[in-house]
Amino acid sequence: MPASEVLMELSGVRKTFGTIEVLHGIDLQITKGSHAVIFGPSGSGKSTVLRCMNLLEEPDVGSIKFLGNEYGPGNGAKAEGKRGKPIELRRKVGMVFQQFNLFPHLSALDNLALPYRSVRGGSLSEAQERAAHELNKVGLLKFAANYPSQLSGGQQQRVAIARALSLDPELMLFDEPTSALDPELVGEVLAVMRDLAESGMTMVVVTHEMNFAREIGDLNIFMEAGNIVTTGGSDFFENCTNQRAKEFIGSVL
Amino acid sequence: MFRLEEDGVAPINFMWHLVWDFRWDLFKGLLTAISVSIVALILSMVIGLIFALARMSRFKVFSIFASFYVNIFRGIPALVSVIWVYFGWSLLFGHNFTVFQAGVIALTLLYSSFFCEIFRSALQAIHKGQREAGLALGLTRGRIFRSVMLPQATKIAIPNIGSMYIGMIKDTSTFAIIGMVEVVRVTQNLNSTYFQPFVLYTAAAGLYVIIAFLVDFIFRNVELNFAYPPQGRIAKFLSRKKKKKIEELMKSTL
Repeated sequence: MPASEVLMELSGVRKTFGTIEVLHGIDLQITKGSHAVIFGPSGSGKSTVLRCMNLLEEPDVGSIKFLGNEYGPGNGAKAEGKRGKPIELRRKVGMVFQQFNLFPHLSALDNLALPYRSVRGGSLSEAQERAAHELNKVGLLKFAANYPSQLSGGQQQRVAIARALSLDPELMLFDEPTSALDPELVGEVLAVMRDLAESGMTMVVVTHEMNFAREIGDLNIFMEAGNIVTTGGSDFFENCTNQRAKEFIGSVL
Repeated sequence: MFRLEEDGVAPINFMWHLVWDFRWDLFKGLLTAISVSIVALILSMVIGLIFALARMSRFKVFSIFASFYVNIFRGIPALVSVIWVYFGWSLLFGHNFTVFQAGVIALTLLYSSFFCEIFRSALQAIHKGQREAGLALGLTRGRIFRSVMLPQATKIAIPNIGSMYIGMIKDTSTFAIIGMVEVVRVTQNLNSTYFQPFVLYTAAAGLYVIIAFLVDFIFRNVELNFAYPPQGRIAKFLSRKKKKKIEELMKSTL
């Protein structure tokens, strides 16, 4: 597979909440196997871009192309490409939330088994086996019977990552996955994400963890006020020429 | 102050033994009250949930209809409701309802509107991240509702369901007026024979209070069983089996 194959493409994505336009036309290509990092000040639209990528927010203008299907209202009078259903996209795009959003009424194991079974079908024991396997990969198999309230924030987030991974996504979205964690718990979540990046998973990460961004990011995207201000490759943090991005990195690091 | 004797009224003699003598009549009355209210509880919950969904619907027609229904039936007293159904509906439909049927319908009309509000607030109390997580995982809307929203909403609603049920039992007392032989009717009958209002109505009140305590106890237990992780005995017993299965799974995965 060529390294430059585009997995997801956003073109001219605009999003308005009420009367305020929060995205002023975002163009972005995520190539297969790449690790994109989106950062920028709060209110810059980072999370909204990410939420548009799995259609939790439907763009008002613009299109999203993913695996040969087109989503969103398009740029012209009408969208041209083959239309896809949001549910089909979401089943191939995993998402990890800032607040984990585990299902509190289910054990860690069932948090994985329930979505797996309802998306894939099959028997309960099949789903549970897969769930156990995924929990093992994030080092939490021994907490399989625990409920989210019995897990630390870091453990909950790792379960959430395992839950998304159990559906074999093509693309993983991370929406500030460590922002709600105690500082000492950030490391374990980043370690899981680092492993995932090394395994070749395509990832888009919204984060304030600049060191982590520097480590894994091969597409670094600086956003401000609803626009992509500048982008760069893995040498972005050393060779960035944009004054505003430099200021921001300086203030966060 | 005057004393009753001076007005020529016989001195008061409390006949507490009447309560014991007619315990089975009172008990039967209580059973009637409980069975009417339980049937109405189940119906009200089902209809209330449907109305809650209608009220939150994107379609204006449904939400307006549901909100009208709630605001109308929430405002009708049980006494009026049961007379309306028992005497009014029989004219309307040309069918005579039994007192039991009329009682169930009257209670259901009123309480389904309360349950609509209880379920609506419970569903709205769930963090929006839960729905988003379900969507992001590619679950269908129906699956999200059944497996994510409903179990969590039920847990939130349980204490309110308990208080509503106590209200329902108390409202069955008004069914005496259509001749249902429930606690108040039994008491009225006894009182017309023995004229012991203090003794007999104390007993009636006591029965309602005992039931209220009992319902509170039951719903507390139900609530514990719905806690995460489960705290109640029943749920703990059920989850023990689940836990064993998970342990086996852990062994086979490692």
